[in-house]
Amino acid sequence: MTTIKSTAVKPDTTMLPARAATSPIAAALRQFARSPAGVAGAVVLILIILATLLGPHLYGVDPLDIAGAPLTPPDADAWLGTDYLGRDILSGLLQGGRATLAVGGVAALITIVIGVTMGSLAGFFGGPIDTALVKVTEFFQILPPLLFAMVLVTLFGQSLVVVTLAIGVVSWPSAARLTRAEFLRLRNLDFVKASRAAGGGNGHLILRVVLPNALPPIIVSATLAIGVAILFEGGLSFLGLGDPNTMSWGLMLGQNRNYVLDAWWTVTFPGAAIFIAVLAISLIGDGINDAINPRLRKRG
Amino acid sequence: MPPVLSVKDLSVSMNGTKGMVPVLEHLSFDVAQGKTMALVGESGCGKSMTALAIMQLLPEDFRVTSGSILLDGVEVLSASPKELRSLRGNKMSMIFQEPMTALNPLYTVGNQIGEVLRQHRGLSRRDAHAQAIQFLKAVQIPAADKRVDAYPHQLSGGMRQRVMIAMALACKPKLLIADEPTTALDVTVQAQIFDLLSELQDDTDTAIVLITHDLGAVAELADDVAVLYAGRCIEQGAADEIIAHARHPYTRGLMACVPHLQLGRAIDHLAAALDEIPGMVPPLGARGPDCAFLPRCAFASEICRAQPQPPLDRINAGAAVSCWRHQEIAPGAMA
Amino acid sequence: MNLVLHVSKQLANAFGLLLAVLVLNFCLIHAAPGDPALVIAGEMGGASADVIAALRVKYGLDKSMLEQLFTYLGKVTTGDFGYSYYFNEPVLGLIGQRIPATLYLVLSALAMSVVIGTLLGIISARKPNGLFSQGVTVISLAGYAAPVFWTGLMLLLLFGSVWPILPVTGMTDVARPKAGLAYVLDVMQHLVLPATTLGLVYIAQYSRLARVNMIDALTADYVRTARAKGLPEIIVIGKHALRNTLIPIVTVAGLQFGHLFAGAVLVETVFSWPGMGRLVFESILRRDYPTLLAVLFFSAVLVMAANIVTDLVYRLVDPRIRSGGR
Repeated sequence: MTTIKSTAVKPDTTMLPARAATSPIAAALRQFARSPAGVAGAVVLILIILATLLGPHLYGVDPLDIAGAPLTPPDADAWLGTDYLGRDILSGLLQGGRATLAVGGVAALITIVIGVTMGSLAGFFGGPIDTALVKVTEFFQILPPLLFAMVLVTLFGQSLVVVTLAIGVVSWPSAARLTRAEFLRLRNLDFVKASRAAGGGNGHLILRVVLPNALPPIIVSATLAIGVAILFEGGLSFLGLGDPNTMSWGLMLGQNRNYVLDAWWTVTFPGAAIFIAVLAISLIGDGINDAINPRLRKRG
Repeated sequence: MPPVLSVKDLSVSMNGTKGMVPVLEHLSFDVAQGKTMALVGESGCGKSMTALAIMQLLPEDFRVTSGSILLDGVEVLSASPKELRSLRGNKMSMIFQEPMTALNPLYTVGNQIGEVLRQHRGLSRRDAHAQAIQFLKAVQIPAADKRVDAYPHQLSGGMRQRVMIAMALACKPKLLIADEPTTALDVTVQAQIFDLLSELQDDTDTAIVLITHDLGAVAELADDVAVLYAGRCIEQGAADEIIAHARHPYTRGLMACVPHLQLGRAIDHLAAALDEIPGMVPPLGARGPDCAFLPRCAFASEICRAQPQPPLDRINAGAAVSCWRHQEIAPGAMA
Repeated sequence: MNLVLHVSKQLANAFGLLLAVLVLNFCLIHAAPGDPALVIAGEMGGASADVIAALRVKYGLDKSMLEQLFTYLGKVTTGDFGYSYYFNEPVLGLIGQRIPATLYLVLSALAMSVVIGTLLGIISARKPNGLFSQGVTVISLAGYAAPVFWTGLMLLLLFGSVWPILPVTGMTDVARPKAGLAYVLDVMQHLVLPATTLGLVYIAQYSRLARVNMIDALTADYVRTARAKGLPEIIVIGKHALRNTLIPIVTVAGLQFGHLFAGAVLVETVFSWPGMGRLVFESILRRDYPTLLAVLFFSAVLVMAANIVTDLVYRLVDPRIRSGGR
């Protein structure tokens, strides 16, 4: 007799507890490799990082030195021209990328750590803890984040540390909401109940059982948070709230913006650098999202 | 009198990743005014695709690859979009399986019923509203003049399906297609909806194509039946005849699944062997030329494996069947 | 009835949150490094020793923190948000003058992004894999990644020197009349570039959102029902699918009002638009803390107001919320 092939739907892996740690990650990487936009974003970001790490040594012009006459258009000496003080723009871009990317990365990390902590506690415990934490989140959400960061930096001083902390402190509510929603969804699923029945404590349940399963959307939102943090750093520096002693893309824009009509190169290139970096990061975020939620891929 | 709906040799394919995959093959049937044609089969056998092909509302990847659909003498398959719009909701209408999702949650039921009248009858907003109340009364919704301003989520499932029926019949269509109209409803409500359909049909003389897997409903409502399996019609004929003398093993298996429809006493032992059909409908693309029911058939023999699926073979005036062994396993043969 | 109760609950909630913002402001003044009196006076302001001494008495800076907090809150309830020594004016008056310009900018950017974003999303949803749709996807990615101040500078460059057909700074032309239709047209002309700059970011986001939701709506059962009723495509999309597409956009637009406001700070700085954002920039430059903190408070007021309006619109659009159903 012919056997009948069952058409049973494949189990939805996102609903299963993440146990075998390596295979889902490998599978996600394979999926990611299939997204041309995501791969392109990753390649561009790696190139930018390499350029900021190696570029200053190769190009050999100090970004804070006067390299020529102020506002010299791009030429053979200064490939991308000089700024209002006569400093080399390309050198500034290469050096400034370090601060911009570092602030972006660290601020995003702070955002995610605060957001995930708040969200997981609220979602896992529910009840009065949830109510209280949701109120706190709501409070932070009514303050326009960039404006709040401006106030913090103005009051506490313009250093890279304050700028990074300020961006992290104002940006976490959306990560908290996301994490809370995931925890609310997951905490009543069978595998969580089973772990609880097996005597798992709250700490174990939150960190080892629920969180790993809530990670996919959190990873996507962490990626996007880096882009947002870079945009915030740019915005703060643009208003003169960056660290004046550390070259960054935003600082270059802010310092040169009054010369835009006379010297287009002074603002065009630093802004383009921010644009390309954020674009690359959001493409990576989309790629990861597609890799994690294959069902949604068609809709994008 | 010519039939209201005449479907000839209709085939539908899905444009999948591996080319065109047949979903429905060479289906033909007629429905006359005031008559009910039932399309029966498990899910995935092509019933809904038939309905959507008639309405010309097939999902994006599906195409009619051959055949003809005449509605009141008009070829639906070659109608322009504009002609189709004037047919839909007017000469032919359809009610769907899920009355919750088939109604727009953001508009009142009165608005959604009145919309049809405004479109096809050119009624004013106010007249359409008044008419909507009349139709809600006709489908036996209590307090119709209040319910007309209710939103779908404020109504029960049975009420919503009544609203769908009111909407479908508002323009007195020649043809009503009911795609599993009771599947999503409670058992007690199912009977009420079928009774309502049958009463309304008596009043309006509408031809109905009823898509269902409920053979009880077929016995009660249908004049003719076509049993579909894996996109092919395997048995077709007058409802009484098929119910009384089902010849195809699949049809008989289906009937055995319905407790109150115990078949001819003589074949009780056969029915017992069939009453749960093992296995599932073969997936799209995995259907060869041989009988699609073969892997699940308790009566399969050498001839079934050696030959392609036979064409529908007219047994008598009332019935046709596509089975190599129908004579051997016919109800009479075993008696 | 139900609605009145609902709105009053919302207002009570808003009141609580805004009180919390005031407490935050108070804490910020005292947590900032340096003498609170100097913070209140504004470090760079022309505050003399007399003024500082007067401030110590006025805000009771020698008393306990709790007493100081109540003094501060008491002043706020009488509309006293402090005095800007840089602008030489009470802060409340300053903000009152600047709010209209910011609202023009923010609301026109919002309207523009919702309308254009939704349209682009709808058109691209009709052929999700078509050329237009891919173009919209590219635009929405670019609009999301481009820093708003840079887009502004690029537009300023384009219309300031390459193709000077639009005014690039300020809100009015000195040479034009200050009243009547001519004035309105003048302001509108000046508004084009700032509003476009600010709107582009959100056009990008809403077109993406509209596209996804429209694609969803177009496969929904009720859209099939609408087609089965023989309705013309314009009604199928414009009535049945559109309203379901608008709901998430309304929600997101409301949630993003704060971001929009913060974006306005940057855009106003680029185009010298005389609104609250420009005021923020000037007070940052002069370390004018009372003004800065008051702007933070009033931006929270605007965000709260936007949230309440969004909620009302949401209830208007979606009857399921209105009647407390599912």
